[in-house]
Amino acid sequence: MTYVLNLTINGAAQAIALDDPRVTLLDLLRERLHLTGAKKGCDRGQCGACTVLVDGRRINSCLTLAVSLDGVEITTIEGLAEGETLHPVQQAFIEHDGFQCGFCTPGQIMSAVGLIGEGQAGTDPERIREGMSGNICRCGAYHGIVEAVLDAQATFQDGVKRKTA
Amino acid sequence: MYANEYLTGEAELAEYVRPRSLEEALAIAGRGAKPLAGCTDLFPATDRPALGGALLDLTGVEGLSGITRTDRGWRIGAVTRWAEVAGAALPPAFDGLRAAAREVGAIQIQNAGTVGGNLCNASPAADGVPPLLTLDARVELASAAGRREMALAEFVTGPRRTALAEGEILTAVIVPEPAGRGAFLKLGARSSLVISIVMAAGRIDVAGGRVAEAAFSVGACSPVAVRLPALEAALAGLPVAEAADRVEAGLVVPALSALSDLRAEAGYRAEASVVLIRRLVAGLTGGAA
Ligand SMILES: Cc1cc2nc3c(=O)[nH]c(=O)nc-3n(C[C@H](O)[C@H](O)[C@H](O)COP(=O)(O)OP(=O)(O)OC[C@H]3O[C@@H](n4cnc5c(N)ncnc54)[C@H](O)[C@@H]3O)c2cc1C
Ligand code: FES
Ligand code: FES
Repeated sequence: MTYVLNLTINGAAQAIALDDPRVTLLDLLRERLHLTGAKKGCDRGQCGACTVLVDGRRINSCLTLAVSLDGVEITTIEGLAEGETLHPVQQAFIEHDGFQCGFCTPGQIMSAVGLIGEGQAGTDPERIREGMSGNICRCGAYHGIVEAVLDAQATFQDGVKRKTA
Repeated sequence: MYANEYLTGEAELAEYVRPRSLEEALAIAGRGAKPLAGCTDLFPATDRPALGGALLDLTGVEGLSGITRTDRGWRIGAVTRWAEVAGAALPPAFDGLRAAAREVGAIQIQNAGTVGGNLCNASPAADGVPPLLTLDARVELASAAGRREMALAEFVTGPRRTALAEGEILTAVIVPEPAGRGAFLKLGARSSLVISIVMAAGRIDVAGGRVAEAAFSVGACSPVAVRLPALEAALAGLPVAEAADRVEAGLVVPALSALSDLRAEAGYRAEASVVLIRRLVAGLTGGAA
């Protein structure tokens, strides 16, 4: 049996046919759609390298059956920049040295975008660390990551203020 | 994939079905399909290609997710995600359950994992069980043959064992209007994204400066999380100022039959349980321990 799902991935609507309903979203993105930004670190929910947004919520794509996502909107790291202009969270990771080897970085950045969207973290570094605890960095770039999230969040709030002013 | 034909029993069972109605879901479950929700327990525990047989995805079934207040108390749909529990507007008695929700893995896990999955997976370390036990929660089960209800304490029968019958699914958790305030504490090898070594939940209702009702539970210590009736009886009626000092090993440890495993020795677990309970009692009666 073939399963057809309609997804919007990084703004583009796509109809995808799956022969095997057991394919994870992560494998679909990487192997079928060649969106290799999301990484397979552990394939069991423990590292966060595969984090993407589904309707704005951050999830581990390695634990998600692609076939269950009919009708949703997915954002991956490839969908953040607008042309040559980096997303503020991407820019902040560069400015604050939020990575070393970069393997965990797409997951960290997607998780940070999700965290800022949730609007719960405030400016307390401890709450940022807690909110980012599903993303492991083997290089230990945590200090820069927290600084980057704080900075990007401030940029967003600034932007919102300017827009509403 | 579309499920109406399963009601008549004529269709061949597909490898994956995501029905919209409970009636369809129960017909499919009755034919032996494996239920799944957030997959956060199922996937890490299974080699996916070995996830043989038909899959019944419950995440699209209407009426299985969300928290509502009914004339029988609060109803938490089985497919309600932990993130929703954490953010729900619930009375203070649920503070322990909401705190536990925020400790289930990390946000990515809370955005997918469900209350029903946590209970049906029946891990001794399931963080949802102790707070729900202190709320005297009941579970609602359904199959094509009908519905039944039982206390959560009877539902979890052993490590990874429940009272679910063939073809039956958990539809909701029912919590009768609970009094007082709840709390939850978890001890792990680090502060986040960690499986509990011990966790404890408590609920105390205070009236006239005394403990009117106390409910306590410890999980991850024994094969199944337990309530602590001896402790609850000892606390009942005490002036709040004396409650925390009344917590002693003799009221907690005998109920536990603590286990040793790769995460901790039984003796350490027993001792840690007493410390967590004392802190819970102190917090819930306004003192410090
Ligand atoms: C990295 C990581 C960290 C975690 N940390 C924690 C933690 O700190 N604390 C904790 O308690 N848990 C933790 N978990 C476990 C898991 O996330 C939770 O137990 C979660 O609530 C499971 O829900 P689910 O919807 O994902 O279940 P699923 O994986 O979809 O299902 C689990 C089991 O229950 C059955 N099932 C599900 N729903 C129903 C139903 N309605 N009726 C009948 N059967 C059903 C399935 O068939 C399966 O056997 C963690 C998991 C991961 C991957
Ligand atoms: S690859 Fe998904 S969490 Fe590690
Ligand atoms: S930058 Fe190397 S794992 Fe995080």
